[in-house]
Amino acid sequence: MFDRLADIIAIEGLLLFGRAIVLVTLGLLLASLCARLTASGLRSRLTPQLLQLARRCVFYAILGVFIAAALAEMGFSIGVIMGAAGVLTVALGFASQTTASNLISGLFLIGERSFEIGDIIRIGDTIGEVLSIDALSVKLRTYDNLYVRIPNETLIKSEVTTLSRFPIRRLDLQLGVAYKEDIAHVREVLMGVADANSLCLDEPAPLFIFTGFGDSALEIQFSVWAKRENFIHLRNGITAEIKVAFDEAGIEIPFPHRSIYTGEVSKPFPIRLVNEAQTASDTDKED
Amino acid sequence: MAADSKSKKSPWWTPREVSEGQSAHLTLGPLSMTLGHGVDEWILEVSSSEETALDGNNTRLKVRKGLPDEAGERFVHAGEAERVVLSPMLADRPVVIRPRQPVFLLGGQSITLYLSTPIWLKVEIADPPVLLKEFPVMRLSDTWFGASTREGELCYAGRTHARHKLADLPQRPHRAISPMTIRNETDKPVPLEKISLPVPMLSLYGADDGSLWTQRVTLTLEGGTEQARVKIDSDLPEVARTLERLAGPRMEGGRSGMTWALNLLLGT
Repeated sequence: MFDRLADIIAIEGLLLFGRAIVLVTLGLLLASLCARLTASGLRSRLTPQLLQLARRCVFYAILGVFIAAALAEMGFSIGVIMGAAGVLTVALGFASQTTASNLISGLFLIGERSFEIGDIIRIGDTIGEVLSIDALSVKLRTYDNLYVRIPNETLIKSEVTTLSRFPIRRLDLQLGVAYKEDIAHVREVLMGVADANSLCLDEPAPLFIFTGFGDSALEIQFSVWAKRENFIHLRNGITAEIKVAFDEAGIEIPFPHRSIYTGEVSKPFPIRLVNEAQTASDTDKED
Repeated sequence: MAADSKSKKSPWWTPREVSEGQSAHLTLGPLSMTLGHGVDEWILEVSSSEETALDGNNTRLKVRKGLPDEAGERFVHAGEAERVVLSPMLADRPVVIRPRQPVFLLGGQSITLYLSTPIWLKVEIADPPVLLKEFPVMRLSDTWFGASTREGELCYAGRTHARHKLADLPQRPHRAISPMTIRNETDKPVPLEKISLPVPMLSLYGADDGSLWTQRVTLTLEGGTEQARVKIDSDLPEVARTLERLAGPRMEGGRSGMTWALNLLLGT
Protein backbone atom coordinates (compact mmCIF):
# COMPACT_ATOMS: atom_id res chain seq x y z
CA MET A 1 0.00 0.00 0.00
CA PHE A 2 2.77 2.46 0.78
CA ASP A 3 4.36 1.65 -2.50
CA ARG A 4 1.13 2.55 -4.27
CA LEU A 5 0.91 5.83 -2.31
CA ALA A 6 4.49 6.69 -3.15
CA ASP A 7 3.80 5.91 -6.78
CA ILE A 8 0.67 8.12 -6.82
CA ILE A 9 2.57 11.03 -5.14
CA ALA A 10 5.43 10.64 -7.59
CA ILE A 11 3.09 10.73 -10.59
CA GLU A 12 1.19 13.72 -9.16
CA GLY A 13 4.46 15.54 -8.60
CA LEU A 14 5.66 14.75 -12.09
CA LEU A 15 2.36 15.91 -13.59
CA LEU A 16 2.51 19.17 -11.69
CA PHE A 17 6.12 19.67 -12.70
CA GLY A 18 5.19 18.79 -16.27
CA ARG A 19 2.35 21.32 -16.29
CA ALA A 20 4.67 24.00 -14.92
CA ILE A 21 7.26 23.26 -17.62
CA VAL A 22 4.55 23.43 -20.30
CA LEU A 23 3.39 26.77 -18.95
CA VAL A 24 6.90 28.22 -18.98
CA THR A 25 7.59 26.93 -22.51
CA LEU A 26 4.27 28.32 -23.70
CA GLY A 27 5.15 31.60 -22.02
CA LEU A 28 8.52 31.75 -23.76
CA LEU A 29 6.98 31.11 -27.17
CA LEU A 30 4.14 33.55 -26.69
CA ALA A 31 6.44 36.22 -25.26
CA SER A 32 8.92 36.04 -28.14
CA LEU A 33 6.10 36.05 -30.68
CA CYS A 34 4.49 39.10 -29.10
CA ALA A 35 7.86 40.83 -28.89
CA ARG A 36 8.50 40.26 -32.57
CA LEU A 37 5.02 41.47 -33.49
CA THR A 38 5.48 44.62 -31.41
CA ALA A 39 8.82 45.28 -33.06
CA SER A 40 7.52 44.91 -36.60
CA GLY A 41 4.42 46.90 -35.81
CA LEU A 42 6.21 49.85 -34.27
CA ARG A 43 9.33 49.76 -36.44
CA SER A 44 8.36 52.81 -38.48
CA ARG A 45 7.35 54.92 -35.51
CA LEU A 46 10.17 54.50 -33.04
CA THR A 47 13.93 54.96 -33.05
CA PRO A 48 16.01 51.77 -32.83
CA GLN A 49 16.66 52.41 -29.14
CA LEU A 50 13.03 52.71 -28.16
CA LEU A 51 12.11 49.78 -30.37
CA GLN A 52 14.51 47.45 -28.57
CA LEU A 53 13.31 48.73 -25.20
CA ALA A 54 9.67 48.11 -26.10
CA ARG A 55 10.50 44.66 -27.39
CA ARG A 56 12.29 43.68 -24.21
CA CYS A 57 9.51 45.08 -22.01
CA VAL A 58 6.83 43.07 -23.79
CA PHE A 59 8.94 39.90 -23.70
CA TYR A 60 9.72 40.01 -20.00
CA ALA A 61 6.24 41.11 -19.00
CA ILE A 62 4.57 38.16 -20.70
CA LEU A 63 7.25 35.71 -19.60
CA GLY A 64 6.93 36.98 -16.04
CA VAL A 65 3.19 36.34 -16.01
CA PHE A 66 3.65 32.77 -17.23
CA ILE A 67 6.44 32.03 -14.75
CA ALA A 68 4.25 33.31 -11.92
CA ALA A 69 1.44 31.04 -13.17
CA ALA A 70 3.86 28.08 -13.32
CA LEU A 71 5.05 28.74 -9.80
CA ALA A 72 1.46 28.97 -8.56
CA GLU A 73 0.78 25.67 -10.33
CA MET A 74 3.66 23.98 -8.51
CA GLY A 75 2.23 25.11 -5.22
CA PHE A 76 4.44 28.00 -4.28
CA SER A 77 2.61 30.81 -2.60
CA ILE A 78 3.12 33.96 -4.62
CA GLY A 79 2.60 36.11 -1.58
CA VAL A 80 5.67 34.84 0.24
CA ILE A 81 7.83 35.25 -2.84
CA MET A 82 6.54 38.75 -3.37
CA GLY A 83 7.33 39.67 0.21
CA ALA A 84 10.89 38.44 -0.06
CA ALA A 85 11.25 40.16 -3.37
CA GLY A 86 10.06 43.41 -1.83
CA VAL A 87 12.74 43.40 0.84
CA LEU A 88 15.37 42.47 -1.71
CA THR A 89 14.24 45.31 -3.95
CA VAL A 90 14.66 47.90 -1.24
CA ALA A 91 18.18 46.68 -0.54
CA LEU A 92 19.03 46.62 -4.23
CA GLY A 93 17.52 50.06 -4.64
CA PHE A 94 19.82 51.64 -2.12
CA ALA A 95 22.78 49.90 -3.66
CA SER A 96 22.01 50.88 -7.21
CA GLN A 97 21.06 54.52 -6.85
CA THR A 98 23.48 55.69 -9.54
CA THR A 99 22.47 52.94 -11.91
CA ALA A 100 18.81 53.80 -11.46
CA SER A 101 19.58 57.46 -11.97
CA ASN A 102 21.44 56.62 -15.16
CA LEU A 103 18.59 54.48 -16.37
CA ILE A 104 15.99 57.18 -15.83
CA SER A 105 18.28 59.84 -17.29
CA GLY A 106 18.68 57.65 -20.35
CA LEU A 107 14.93 57.46 -20.83
CA PHE A 108 14.61 61.22 -20.57
CA LEU A 109 17.49 61.80 -22.97
CA ILE A 110 15.89 59.58 -25.56
CA GLY A 111 12.54 61.26 -25.07
CA GLU A 112 13.95 64.76 -25.28
CA ARG A 113 15.72 64.10 -28.58
CA SER A 114 18.27 66.86 -28.19
CA PHE A 115 20.70 64.55 -29.96
CA GLU A 116 20.37 61.28 -31.83
CA ILE A 117 22.59 58.52 -33.12
CA GLY A 118 24.94 59.98 -35.71
CA ASP A 119 24.94 63.49 -34.24
CA ILE A 120 28.19 65.07 -33.16
CA ILE A 121 28.15 66.31 -29.58
CA ARG A 122 30.56 68.12 -27.32
CA ILE A 123 30.49 67.48 -23.60
CA GLY A 124 33.16 69.23 -21.59
CA ASP A 125 36.29 68.74 -23.66
CA THR A 126 35.19 65.63 -25.49
CA ILE A 127 33.84 65.94 -29.01
CA GLY A 128 32.56 62.84 -30.75
CA GLU A 129 29.95 61.17 -32.87
CA VAL A 130 27.14 59.41 -30.99
CA LEU A 131 27.34 55.67 -31.66
CA SER A 132 24.56 54.53 -29.34
CA ILE A 133 22.34 55.76 -26.55
CA ASP A 134 22.17 52.80 -24.17
CA ALA A 135 20.32 52.25 -20.93
CA LEU A 136 23.08 53.52 -18.69
CA SER A 137 25.41 55.49 -20.92
CA VAL A 138 26.04 57.07 -24.28
CA LYS A 139 28.91 55.85 -26.40
CA LEU A 140 30.90 58.28 -28.50
CA ARG A 141 33.57 57.92 -31.13
CA THR A 142 36.00 60.85 -30.99
CA TYR A 143 37.61 62.33 -34.08
CA ASP A 144 40.86 60.51 -33.31
CA ASN A 145 38.93 57.23 -33.26
CA LEU A 146 38.71 56.61 -29.54
CA TYR A 147 35.73 55.04 -27.78
CA VAL A 148 34.29 57.11 -24.96
CA ARG A 149 31.57 56.03 -22.55
CA ILE A 150 29.63 58.86 -20.91
CA PRO A 151 27.12 58.04 -18.13
CA ASN A 152 23.63 59.34 -18.83
CA GLU A 153 23.56 61.07 -15.47
CA THR A 154 26.46 63.30 -16.54
CA LEU A 155 24.66 64.18 -19.76
CA ILE A 156 21.46 65.15 -17.99
CA LYS A 157 23.27 67.26 -15.44
CA SER A 158 25.69 69.16 -17.65
CA GLU A 159 25.78 71.23 -20.81
CA VAL A 160 25.80 69.23 -24.04
CA THR A 161 26.41 70.98 -27.35
CA THR A 162 25.04 69.28 -30.44
CA LEU A 163 27.29 70.45 -33.24
CA SER A 164 25.30 68.84 -36.02
CA ARG A 165 21.83 70.14 -35.22
CA PHE A 166 21.63 73.13 -37.58
CA PRO A 167 22.57 73.05 -41.26
CA ILE A 168 24.89 76.07 -41.33
CA ARG A 169 27.61 77.17 -38.99
CA ARG A 170 29.56 80.36 -38.38
CA LEU A 171 33.34 80.54 -38.24
CA ASP A 172 34.73 83.33 -36.06
CA LEU A 173 38.22 84.45 -36.97
CA GLN A 174 40.12 86.70 -34.58
CA LEU A 175 42.66 88.84 -36.37
CA GLY A 176 44.93 91.67 -35.45
CA VAL A 177 46.23 94.32 -37.81
CA ALA A 178 48.88 96.91 -37.18
CA TYR A 179 47.84 100.27 -35.82
CA LYS A 180 48.95 102.05 -38.95
CA GLU A 181 46.36 100.25 -41.13
CA ASP A 182 43.12 101.80 -42.40
CA ILE A 183 40.20 99.84 -40.96
CA ALA A 184 37.96 100.48 -43.95
CA HIS A 185 40.62 99.12 -46.30
CA VAL A 186 41.07 96.00 -44.14
CA ARG A 187 37.31 95.46 -44.21
CA GLU A 188 37.29 95.74 -47.99
CA VAL A 189 40.09 93.20 -48.37
CA LEU A 190 38.41 90.73 -45.99
CA MET A 191 35.05 91.02 -47.73
CA GLY A 192 36.79 90.43 -51.04
CA VAL A 193 38.33 87.21 -49.70
CA ALA A 194 34.93 85.99 -48.46
CA ASP A 195 33.35 86.86 -51.80
CA ALA A 196 35.91 84.90 -53.78
CA ASN A 197 35.64 81.81 -51.57
CA SER A 198 32.78 79.72 -52.91
CA LEU A 199 32.33 77.72 -49.70
CA CYS A 200 31.62 80.89 -47.77
CA LEU A 201 27.89 81.66 -47.87
CA ASP A 202 26.77 84.95 -49.40
CA GLU A 203 23.87 85.01 -47.01
CA PRO A 204 24.06 85.38 -44.04
CA ALA A 205 26.59 88.01 -44.99
CA PRO A 206 30.10 87.90 -43.50
CA LEU A 207 30.41 89.97 -40.38
CA PHE A 208 33.20 92.43 -39.69
CA ILE A 209 33.44 93.52 -36.06
CA PHE A 210 36.08 95.81 -34.67
CA THR A 211 36.50 94.41 -31.19
CA GLY A 212 38.97 96.84 -29.73
CA PHE A 213 42.30 98.56 -29.45
CA GLY A 214 44.61 95.76 -28.33
CA ASP A 215 48.05 95.87 -26.80
CA SER A 216 49.91 95.31 -30.01
CA ALA A 217 47.28 95.48 -32.73
CA LEU A 218 43.81 96.57 -33.70
CA GLU A 219 41.63 93.60 -32.86
CA ILE A 220 39.11 92.50 -35.43
CA GLN A 221 36.63 89.65 -35.55
CA PHE A 222 35.70 88.39 -39.02
CA SER A 223 32.82 85.90 -39.03
CA VAL A 224 31.85 83.85 -42.06
CA TRP A 225 29.11 81.26 -42.51
CA ALA A 226 29.39 77.90 -44.25
CA LYS A 227 27.43 74.70 -44.68
CA ARG A 228 28.16 72.57 -41.65
CA GLU A 229 29.85 69.85 -43.72
CA ASN A 230 32.20 72.40 -45.28
CA PHE A 231 33.26 73.95 -41.99
CA ILE A 232 36.73 72.40 -41.79
CA HIS A 233 37.48 73.09 -45.46
CA LEU A 234 36.44 76.68 -45.01
CA ARG A 235 38.48 77.11 -41.86
CA ASN A 236 41.65 75.90 -43.53
CA GLY A 237 40.99 77.57 -46.85
CA ILE A 238 39.98 81.02 -45.78
CA THR A 239 42.78 81.59 -43.27
CA ALA A 240 45.34 80.91 -45.97
CA GLU A 241 43.47 83.15 -48.41
CA ILE A 242 43.33 85.98 -45.86
CA LYS A 243 47.06 85.78 -45.32
CA VAL A 244 47.72 85.92 -49.06
CA ALA A 245 45.31 88.82 -49.51
CA PHE A 246 46.90 90.73 -46.65
CA ASP A 247 50.36 90.20 -48.07
CA GLU A 248 49.21 91.45 -51.47
CA ALA A 249 47.49 94.50 -49.98
CA GLY A 250 50.45 95.24 -47.72
CA ILE A 251 48.43 94.89 -44.54
CA GLU A 252 50.61 93.98 -41.61
CA ILE A 253 49.73 91.48 -38.93
CA PRO A 254 52.03 92.61 -36.18
CA PHE A 255 54.03 90.63 -33.66
CA PRO A 256 53.36 91.49 -30.04
CA HIS A 257 55.00 94.83 -29.20
CA ARG A 258 56.58 95.96 -26.00
CA SER A 259 58.08 99.39 -25.46
CA ILE A 260 60.80 99.61 -22.83
CA TYR A 261 61.79 102.82 -21.07
CA THR A 262 64.37 103.33 -18.38
CA GLY A 263 62.22 105.58 -16.29
CA GLU A 264 62.07 108.59 -18.61
CA VAL A 265 60.46 108.48 -22.03
CA SER A 266 62.44 111.33 -23.51
CA LYS A 267 65.92 110.19 -22.54
CA PRO A 268 67.77 107.66 -24.72
CA PHE A 269 68.29 104.13 -23.44
CA PRO A 270 71.83 103.86 -21.95
CA ILE A 271 74.02 100.98 -23.18
CA ARG A 272 77.48 99.94 -22.00
CA LEU A 273 79.69 97.56 -24.00
CA VAL A 274 81.62 95.10 -21.84
CA ASN A 275 85.23 94.04 -22.60
CA GLU A 276 85.44 96.49 -25.49
CA ALA A 277 89.25 96.83 -25.39
CA GLN A 278 89.88 93.08 -25.17
CA THR A 279 87.66 92.18 -28.15
CA ALA A 280 89.38 94.87 -30.24
CA SER A 281 92.89 93.46 -29.53
CA ASP A 282 91.71 89.89 -30.29
CA THR A 283 90.56 90.79 -33.75
CA ASP A 284 93.90 92.55 -34.45
CA LYS A 285 95.78 89.35 -33.68
CA GLU A 286 93.67 87.26 -36.11
CA ASP A 287 94.47 89.58 -38.96
CA MET B 1 33.52 83.70 -85.25
CA ALA B 2 30.88 81.29 -84.05
CA ALA B 3 30.26 79.64 -87.39
CA ASP B 4 30.40 76.15 -85.97
CA SER B 5 27.55 76.52 -83.59
CA LYS B 6 25.26 79.43 -84.34
CA SER B 7 22.19 79.76 -86.47
CA LYS B 8 23.59 78.61 -89.81
CA LYS B 9 24.55 75.16 -88.65
CA SER B 10 23.28 73.77 -85.39
CA PRO B 11 23.56 74.76 -81.77
CA TRP B 12 26.37 73.29 -79.68
CA TRP B 13 24.10 70.80 -77.98
CA THR B 14 23.46 68.67 -81.07
CA PRO B 15 25.23 65.31 -81.00
CA ARG B 16 28.64 64.92 -82.66
CA GLU B 17 30.83 62.04 -83.72
CA VAL B 18 34.24 61.81 -82.08
CA SER B 19 36.30 58.87 -83.34
CA GLU B 20 39.27 57.34 -81.59
CA GLY B 21 42.23 59.66 -81.44
CA GLN B 22 40.05 62.76 -81.74
CA SER B 23 38.82 65.28 -79.18
CA ALA B 24 35.87 67.62 -79.00
CA HIS B 25 36.72 71.11 -77.75
CA LEU B 26 33.98 73.29 -76.38
CA THR B 27 34.29 76.92 -75.38
CA LEU B 28 31.15 78.27 -73.77
CA GLY B 29 31.34 81.51 -71.87
CA PRO B 30 33.83 81.01 -69.04
CA LEU B 31 33.99 77.25 -69.62
CA SER B 32 36.58 75.47 -71.69
CA MET B 33 36.21 71.71 -72.03
CA THR B 34 37.99 68.97 -73.97
CA LEU B 35 36.66 65.44 -74.37
CA GLY B 36 39.09 63.02 -75.93
CA HIS B 37 38.40 59.53 -77.27
CA GLY B 38 41.32 57.35 -76.31
CA VAL B 39 41.83 53.59 -76.61
CA ASP B 40 38.93 52.04 -74.66
CA GLU B 41 38.58 55.18 -72.61
CA TRP B 42 37.36 58.76 -72.69
CA ILE B 43 39.36 61.62 -71.19
CA LEU B 44 37.64 64.73 -69.92
CA GLU B 45 39.38 67.99 -69.07
CA VAL B 46 37.48 70.98 -67.77
CA SER B 47 38.56 74.47 -66.85
CA SER B 48 36.42 77.38 -65.79
CA SER B 49 37.41 81.01 -65.52
CA GLU B 50 35.69 84.25 -64.51
CA GLU B 51 32.85 85.66 -66.55
CA THR B 52 33.84 88.43 -68.92
CA ALA B 53 32.12 90.67 -71.42
CA LEU B 54 33.46 88.53 -74.29
CA ASP B 55 31.39 85.55 -73.20
CA GLY B 56 28.63 86.49 -75.59
CA ASN B 57 30.31 85.45 -78.79
CA ASN B 58 32.96 82.88 -77.99
CA THR B 59 30.82 79.76 -78.29
CA ARG B 60 32.80 77.20 -80.20
CA LEU B 61 32.62 73.44 -80.58
CA LYS B 62 35.26 71.76 -82.72
CA VAL B 63 36.30 68.17 -83.22
CA ARG B 64 40.02 67.86 -83.83
CA LYS B 65 42.67 65.20 -83.91
CA GLY B 66 44.73 64.67 -80.80
CA LEU B 67 43.97 63.88 -77.19
CA PRO B 68 44.16 66.18 -74.16
CA ASP B 69 47.73 66.54 -72.86
CA GLU B 70 47.29 66.80 -69.15
CA ALA B 71 45.70 64.05 -67.16
CA GLY B 72 42.04 64.86 -67.05
CA GLU B 73 39.46 62.45 -65.71
CA ARG B 74 39.46 59.07 -67.40
CA PHE B 75 36.35 57.00 -67.99
CA VAL B 76 36.80 53.43 -69.09
CA HIS B 77 34.39 52.56 -71.89
CA ALA B 78 35.49 49.90 -74.29
CA GLY B 79 33.48 49.94 -77.46
CA GLU B 80 32.96 51.40 -80.85
CA ALA B 81 30.81 54.27 -79.58
CA GLU B 82 31.69 57.56 -81.21
CA ARG B 83 28.61 59.61 -80.50
CA VAL B 84 29.05 62.43 -78.01
CA VAL B 85 26.12 64.39 -76.61
CA LEU B 86 26.78 67.58 -74.68
CA SER B 87 23.56 68.88 -73.21
CA PRO B 88 22.79 71.89 -71.07
CA MET B 89 20.85 71.54 -67.83
CA LEU B 90 19.62 73.93 -65.20
CA ALA B 91 21.11 74.34 -61.73
CA ASP B 92 20.42 71.71 -59.09
CA ARG B 93 19.44 74.18 -56.36
CA PRO B 94 17.34 77.36 -56.29
CA VAL B 95 19.24 80.52 -57.25
CA VAL B 96 19.00 83.75 -55.26
CA ILE B 97 18.97 86.89 -57.40
CA ARG B 98 18.66 90.54 -56.47
CA PRO B 99 17.09 93.29 -58.59
CA ARG B 100 19.39 96.10 -59.62
CA GLN B 101 17.87 98.32 -56.97
CA PRO B 102 15.34 97.35 -54.32
CA VAL B 103 11.86 97.80 -55.74
CA PHE B 104 8.60 98.31 -53.90
CA LEU B 105 5.71 96.60 -55.60
CA LEU B 106 2.59 98.51 -54.63
CA GLY B 107 -0.71 96.84 -53.92
CA GLY B 108 -2.58 95.60 -56.95
CA GLN B 109 0.46 95.96 -59.22
CA SER B 110 2.50 93.41 -61.04
CA ILE B 111 6.00 93.38 -62.46
CA THR B 112 7.91 91.10 -64.82
CA LEU B 113 11.57 90.58 -64.12
CA TYR B 114 14.10 88.73 -66.25
CA LEU B 115 16.56 86.60 -64.31
CA SER B 116 19.49 84.63 -65.67
CA THR B 117 21.07 81.59 -64.08
CA PRO B 118 24.23 79.71 -65.15
CA ILE B 119 23.73 76.27 -66.65
CA TRP B 120 25.15 72.86 -65.95
CA LEU B 121 26.72 70.73 -68.66
CA LYS B 122 25.97 67.03 -69.05
CA VAL B 123 28.50 64.95 -70.99
CA GLU B 124 27.20 61.68 -72.42
CA ILE B 125 28.58 59.21 -74.92
CA ALA B 126 27.23 56.40 -77.03
CA ASP B 127 23.73 55.50 -78.01
CA PRO B 128 21.80 54.83 -75.72
CA PRO B 129 23.56 57.64 -73.83
CA VAL B 130 25.91 56.79 -71.00
CA LEU B 131 26.51 59.64 -68.57
CA LEU B 132 30.15 60.56 -68.00
CA LYS B 133 29.84 63.68 -65.93
CA GLU B 134 27.56 66.55 -65.04
CA PHE B 135 29.11 69.80 -63.82
CA PRO B 136 28.39 73.53 -63.64
CA VAL B 137 29.73 75.88 -66.27
CA MET B 138 31.19 78.09 -63.55
CA ARG B 139 31.69 77.63 -59.84
CA LEU B 140 28.82 79.25 -57.99
CA SER B 141 28.93 80.53 -54.46
CA ASP B 142 26.75 78.86 -51.85
CA THR B 143 24.23 80.92 -50.00
CA TRP B 144 21.51 80.36 -47.43
CA PHE B 145 17.96 81.46 -48.09
CA GLY B 146 15.49 81.21 -45.27
CA ALA B 147 13.67 82.75 -42.39
CA SER B 148 16.50 82.11 -39.95
CA THR B 149 19.76 80.25 -39.66
CA ARG B 150 17.84 77.23 -38.44
CA GLU B 151 15.30 76.89 -41.23
CA GLY B 152 15.77 77.46 -44.89
CA GLU B 153 17.68 75.88 -47.70
CA LEU B 154 21.04 76.02 -49.30
CA CYS B 155 20.94 77.83 -52.64
CA TYR B 156 23.34 79.32 -55.13
CA ALA B 157 24.04 83.03 -55.14
CA GLY B 158 23.28 84.48 -58.55
CA ARG B 159 25.65 87.35 -58.71
CA THR B 160 23.80 89.04 -61.53
CA HIS B 161 20.86 91.40 -61.29
CA ALA B 162 17.27 90.95 -62.29
CA ARG B 163 16.29 93.25 -65.16
CA HIS B 164 12.98 94.90 -65.91
CA LYS B 165 13.37 94.77 -69.65
CA LEU B 166 14.45 91.80 -71.70
CA ALA B 167 16.56 94.02 -73.91
CA ASP B 168 18.66 95.02 -70.89
CA LEU B 169 19.73 91.45 -70.24
CA PRO B 170 22.89 90.58 -72.18
CA GLN B 171 22.65 87.34 -74.14
CA ARG B 172 25.16 84.92 -72.76
CA PRO B 173 25.34 81.37 -74.06
CA HIS B 174 26.08 79.83 -70.65
CA ARG B 175 23.08 81.36 -68.91
CA ALA B 176 19.38 80.53 -69.13
CA ILE B 177 16.89 83.37 -68.94
CA SER B 178 13.74 83.01 -66.83
CA PRO B 179 10.89 85.51 -66.99
CA MET B 180 9.29 85.96 -63.61
CA THR B 181 6.02 87.79 -63.03
CA ILE B 182 5.18 88.91 -59.52
CA ARG B 183 1.60 89.97 -58.80
CA ASN B 184 0.81 91.77 -55.60
CA GLU B 185 -2.83 91.08 -54.75
CA THR B 186 -2.48 92.45 -51.25
CA ASP B 187 -3.10 96.08 -50.43
CA LYS B 188 0.34 96.69 -48.94
CA PRO B 189 3.54 97.46 -50.83
CA VAL B 190 5.92 94.52 -50.93
CA PRO B 191 9.69 95.09 -51.05
CA LEU B 192 11.54 93.03 -53.64
CA GLU B 193 15.09 92.81 -52.42
CA LYS B 194 16.06 89.28 -53.17
CA ILE B 195 14.21 86.55 -55.00
CA SER B 196 14.74 82.83 -54.82
CA LEU B 197 14.08 81.33 -58.23
CA PRO B 198 12.96 77.68 -57.86
CA VAL B 199 15.23 76.46 -60.65
CA PRO B 200 14.95 72.68 -60.03
CA MET B 201 11.27 72.91 -60.94
CA LEU B 202 11.88 74.49 -64.35
CA SER B 203 12.50 73.01 -67.79
CA LEU B 204 15.17 74.23 -70.16
CA TYR B 205 14.47 75.30 -73.74
CA GLY B 206 16.94 76.29 -76.42
CA ALA B 207 16.74 78.28 -79.62
CA ASP B 208 18.73 77.80 -82.80
CA ASP B 209 20.86 80.83 -82.05
CA GLY B 210 22.23 79.17 -78.91
CA SER B 211 20.14 81.13 -76.41
CA LEU B 212 18.63 79.27 -73.48
CA TRP B 213 15.29 79.90 -71.80
CA THR B 214 12.99 78.53 -69.14
CA GLN B 215 9.26 78.84 -68.67
CA ARG B 216 7.68 81.85 -67.07
CA VAL B 217 7.20 81.65 -63.31
CA THR B 218 4.32 83.60 -61.78
CA LEU B 219 4.24 84.49 -58.12
CA THR B 220 0.93 85.72 -56.81
CA LEU B 221 1.04 87.33 -53.39
CA GLU B 222 -2.33 86.76 -51.84
CA GLY B 223 -4.02 89.17 -49.52
CA GLY B 224 -4.25 88.44 -45.85
CA THR B 225 -1.63 85.72 -45.62
CA GLU B 226 2.12 85.46 -45.64
CA GLN B 227 1.80 83.06 -48.52
CA ALA B 228 2.46 83.25 -52.21
CA ARG B 229 1.15 81.03 -54.94
CA VAL B 230 3.69 79.80 -57.42
CA LYS B 231 2.62 78.90 -60.93
CA ILE B 232 5.02 77.59 -63.52
CA ASP B 233 3.76 77.90 -67.06
CA SER B 234 3.46 74.71 -68.99
CA ASP B 235 3.77 76.59 -72.30
CA LEU B 236 6.95 77.72 -73.92
CA PRO B 237 8.19 81.16 -72.96
CA GLU B 238 7.06 83.89 -75.30
CA VAL B 239 10.20 84.94 -77.04
CA ALA B 240 10.33 85.55 -80.74
CA ARG B 241 12.10 82.30 -81.65
CA THR B 242 11.38 78.63 -82.13
CA LEU B 243 12.33 76.72 -79.07
CA GLU B 244 13.22 73.10 -78.50
CA ARG B 245 12.89 71.44 -75.10
CA LEU B 246 16.31 70.39 -73.89
CA ALA B 247 15.80 69.23 -70.34
CA GLY B 248 12.91 68.57 -68.00
CA PRO B 249 12.67 69.70 -64.39
CA ARG B 250 14.99 68.02 -61.89
CA MET B 251 12.20 67.89 -59.33
CA GLU B 252 9.17 66.20 -60.84
CA GLY B 253 5.79 67.04 -59.42
CA GLY B 254 7.20 70.06 -57.68
CA ARG B 255 5.32 72.58 -55.66
CA SER B 256 3.88 74.53 -58.54
CA GLY B 257 0.33 75.59 -57.85
CA MET B 258 0.83 75.22 -54.12
CA THR B 259 1.42 78.03 -51.75
CA TRP B 260 4.86 78.80 -50.46
CA ALA B 261 5.64 80.85 -47.41
CA LEU B 262 6.47 84.32 -48.54
CA ASN B 263 9.81 84.36 -46.82
CA LEU B 264 10.92 81.34 -48.84
CA LEU B 265 10.59 83.24 -52.08
CA LEU B 266 11.16 86.88 -51.27
CA GLY B 267 13.69 87.35 -48.55
CA THR B 268 13.24 90.30 -46.26
